[in-house]
Amino acid sequence: MTSIALAIISAAAFVFMYRVLRGPSLPDRAIALDGLLTVVVLGVLVAAGETGSSLLLATVLVVVLASFVATSAIARFVERRGA
Amino acid sequence: MNAVGGLFVIAGALLALVGAIGVVRFEDFLSRIHAASKAPTLGLILVATGVAFELGTLLAFSTLTLLVALQLLTAPVATHMLGRAAHGHVEVHLDGEDELARDKLLWAAASNASAETDGSGAAPSAEPPGP
Repeated sequence: MTSIALAIISAAAFVFMYRVLRGPSLPDRAIALDGLLTVVVLGVLVAAGETGSSLLLATVLVVVLASFVATSAIARFVERRGA
Repeated sequence: MNAVGGLFVIAGALLALVGAIGVVRFEDFLSRIHAASKAPTLGLILVATGVAFELGTLLAFSTLTLLVALQLLTAPVATHMLGRAAHGHVEVHLDGEDELARDKLLWAAASNASAETDGSGAAPSAEPPGP
């Protein structure tokens, strides 16, 4: 059952990657990167559920915060300089 | 992985996939914001519930609760900031009035009026009044 979930999560990550590469503007790419990081967190959570490791759970906390900081920084940059 | 946890995890993964398809298929930037922020966040809630069912320890439960709370607090704020910052720089298809453009004009006019009455030479900015 975890392999089915991981396959679906990998497909979602590839589809987000398409928008990162294709997005006609910078905010499109930033939004897709935020979604991609959330999907990565999903995948690591499934792996943590499989192995029971608490180190993986602590790592994805940092990833969530880092994605928020990155999206906010890109938002401030777009506000000042334009897409 | 037991059945209940596995079901939640698969449901969360399907939500993430639906959000990804929405980001690709929507033709407008503001619609893509909806798909990219809401669907993976809900998928995260479901997957965290499934993993909590699977692991069952207090440490895992508290860490997952903290993770879900952080994601719920930060993801809508970040995407809202990005959507607001990109206003005027990306092409949007609106079906109503552009309220942000109207409000920006109002704020600029208000700061123009206050700058004239103050007599200061400060340039008016398009920033909204502070909190």
